[in-house]
Amino acid sequence: MAKKEKYLTGLFGLENLHEIEVYLQNGGYEAAKKAVKSMKPEEILKEVKAANLRGRGGAGFPAGVKWGFVPPTADKPKYLCVNADEGEPGTFKDKYIMSHNPHLLLEGIIITSYCVGIHQAFIYIRGEYEMIARRLEKAIDEAKTKGFLGKNIFGSQFALEVVVHRGAGAYICGEETALLESLEGKRGHPRLKPPFPASVGLFQCPTVINNVETIANVPFIIARGAEWFTQMGLPQDGGTRIFGVSGPVKKPGIYELPLGTSLRELIFNHAGGMLEGKELKAVIPGGMSAPILTADEIDISLDFESLKNAGSMLGSGAVIVIDKETSMLDVLQVVTKFYAHESCGQCTPCRVGVSWINKIVQRMAAGQGSPEDLETISRLASAIMGKTLCPLGDAAAMPILGIVEKFKDELLAQMGH
Amino acid sequence: MVKITIDGQQVEVKEGLTILKAAESIGIEIPHLCFHPAFPPEGSCRLCLVEIEGRPKLELACSTIVQEGMNIYTQSERVREARQVVLELLLAEHPPDCPICDKAGDCHLQDYYEEHGLFDSHFWENKERRAKKVPLGKNLILDRERCILCTRCVRFLKEITRTGELGVFQRGIHSEIDYFPGQPVNNNYSGNLAELCPVGAITDKDFRFQTRSWFLVSKPTICPHCSRACSIYIDFHPGFPRIELDKYVYRLRARENPEINDYWICDFGRYNYSYLEKNRVVSVLVNRDGQLQEDEWDKQIELLGKKLKELYLKKRTNRIGVILHSALTNEELYLAKKIFREDLPEVNLYLIDPPEGKGDNWLLTSSRTPNLKGMELIGLNPQKFPPENGFNELEMMIIFAYHPLGDGHYAQLKSVLEEVPFSVLFTAHQTTLMNQVTVVLPALLLAEKEGSVINVEGKLQQFKAALHPPGNAHSEGEALLAIGRNLGINFSFYRNMRSTADILGKLSQDISFFEGQSD
Repeated sequence: MAKKEKYLTGLFGLENLHEIEVYLQNGGYEAAKKAVKSMKPEEILKEVKAANLRGRGGAGFPAGVKWGFVPPTADKPKYLCVNADEGEPGTFKDKYIMSHNPHLLLEGIIITSYCVGIHQAFIYIRGEYEMIARRLEKAIDEAKTKGFLGKNIFGSQFALEVVVHRGAGAYICGEETALLESLEGKRGHPRLKPPFPASVGLFQCPTVINNVETIANVPFIIARGAEWFTQMGLPQDGGTRIFGVSGPVKKPGIYELPLGTSLRELIFNHAGGMLEGKELKAVIPGGMSAPILTADEIDISLDFESLKNAGSMLGSGAVIVIDKETSMLDVLQVVTKFYAHESCGQCTPCRVGVSWINKIVQRMAAGQGSPEDLETISRLASAIMGKTLCPLGDAAAMPILGIVEKFKDELLAQMGH
Repeated sequence: MVKITIDGQQVEVKEGLTILKAAESIGIEIPHLCFHPAFPPEGSCRLCLVEIEGRPKLELACSTIVQEGMNIYTQSERVREARQVVLELLLAEHPPDCPICDKAGDCHLQDYYEEHGLFDSHFWENKERRAKKVPLGKNLILDRERCILCTRCVRFLKEITRTGELGVFQRGIHSEIDYFPGQPVNNNYSGNLAELCPVGAITDKDFRFQTRSWFLVSKPTICPHCSRACSIYIDFHPGFPRIELDKYVYRLRARENPEINDYWICDFGRYNYSYLEKNRVVSVLVNRDGQLQEDEWDKQIELLGKKLKELYLKKRTNRIGVILHSALTNEELYLAKKIFREDLPEVNLYLIDPPEGKGDNWLLTSSRTPNLKGMELIGLNPQKFPPENGFNELEMMIIFAYHPLGDGHYAQLKSVLEEVPFSVLFTAHQTTLMNQVTVVLPALLLAEKEGSVINVEGKLQQFKAALHPPGNAHSEGEALLAIGRNLGINFSFYRNMRSTADILGKLSQDISFFEGQSD
């Protein structure tokens, strides 16, 4: 039974959950109180590491390990940046967490900050989430009034301020180092790594950057323990994931499921299957950057390793369903247009390579394509892979390669070959 | 020290070096465009990717620090392929207008294509159309189609001059360099951007469409326009048979010198080069009844020596006035000291330099001569002109004049010269003083001389002549040496001075500061 528990989203829909009193009535801030009042930072870190909480933003890097990289003693301040710049096409899970339960995020921020020794946290939220940004700011005020933020949190010596910063609409600012640049008031260009943000981050200080959903998991790990958490999902991949299903299914929306649920189950049981008269053709399983899966490939466990082995990725858990009537050339066009538009322009392969691919695809869409174009696209996409300054190059190249490989015949047919 | 292997070659290099620098130290060049040694690595051009054994991805040579036991390949199949792709991508959107590009011949992209590219283009799409001549400031034009967005220009202004006029605007393929509103690049270092640009995107208005870079000969010399004495190159055109060019020197460039000016020079020094050719005095002139008539160098030098000897024998050397300037080399100043302080007693030495200008708190100093410090160290101690206590009645005046950018500072000499029966003017440029003196001897500029100067920070630089002397002009040093010999007061000293090196050697024995400074 525990396996089916929706601890993150279970309370969603409860009236005025975003208000602190309602959240408190439902056990809110108990985990933060426990952490700050009765746990040592090392104990929290140990627990989060034991829980195998992997990042929910896309890359799936273990949160505990990331926190552990921050030097425990530093002569500089340390920062937490919550990445709420939810820009990956198809992804809308963080929006739900923050709008329904902003205090859950704040609680996670308190525990994380206490664990790492941080006194200033930022929530970098995408500019379009205006209502949510205001809701978060209100929640921060409420938490401050209660003594959960500010000085002497829960009567302890621990102090923490949280600031909401709104982005200006660039996809690249969801990349952690571009986010830092943007937060510093600069152009959102990714930084060269190393050094990594854990040692040189915001304003050159050690910085932890985590996705909203990752941070929202932290209070549950503290309240119920790492063992419970790993039992919720898979041993190496603990907890649930919030999957966002979009496309021609009967019930599009978010579904909180344990890691390890099969993709077929998600689409056909939870999301209610395809709309009447629609037939499944393909699925993008983890946000637009994740390589596409065909209808034959959906009997797969939704976890980091299984999808990686299938040549795709779990990414942000955004499942985009594509039906038979949708032209793959249209899909390809949407993908290349998006990445060409969102490339920051800093490094050569992404700036010119993705734009070049997009130019070819747009030409193909205008009926001027040829079979050699597909070869050029594959060659360019492979050339971009692993050679760009930030992961955006891979993010663009992977779905393009996937579509061109798996739907080559359809693309050729659409070009009249 | 760290032991690494590069292309099968085992080497020990300093800890903390990047792969790029480590490879460079053993003569392996890794192509790069955005990296410049003056700035921290940027990693955006992706041309310097190399293969490191055991690492799945290619790594940047410009930013990856060498580690013990690293096995690096700079020529493997994967590396060459990656390089070729980057070049292919850069050239996809870059116009092939090398035949009309000022950078052709000096262009890194062109060179790298020759060396690492040589592919056939597969780019059938329309290139982006962009602005081709955007004025970035008073000296610079930007061609956005040629720009490869290495951002060296942006970083120079951000990190070196800290003026920050330029930035990257727009995004993705539409990214472009521009200045922030109302803030064109008009600082005193703007000219460096044209040099820094690895392609022909930023060109110098002064050099645009003037000549092809491969016609130019580069010679190292020193910038004489202030006391920083920056290391520079003079790029001149040796000319074509049967074709007259209206110009000889086409541009000045910074010459790398970590001790003095790094990779940079200021605009004041860079663009003030027409003085090298304009208004030069190229022949010996003698004033006969108000007419300037050509004469011979040796004859006039001999005459001058004779006149000096006469006054010496009559013990009236206190009737001699000598006007110096601090654009003379150490060697010349040392000879002047020998003659006018040691051989001939009581000579009146004065200093007239070009007027001070405004310094910029970086390279450009307020004093506008390259060897003020040298003059001080050699100990000539000339008086200010006009002297506070007035003059003795002078029977002879020798003027070493220096006025590359205007001769206003010699106006004060006119009334004095009227009273002097015999006067000699050494000058590289024409001046109204020429009508007031008895003899005019054409002199040389620093670029035409061999010798040394000491800059404001006490750094000694030696140099050879970069340009040939015009016409019948001779260096002041040569004249002084001849005068010293002709006087014969200390003949053996001058006889042993066969080269500037001899003079500097003697100078180093004499004045401790110079000891061990020369090479």
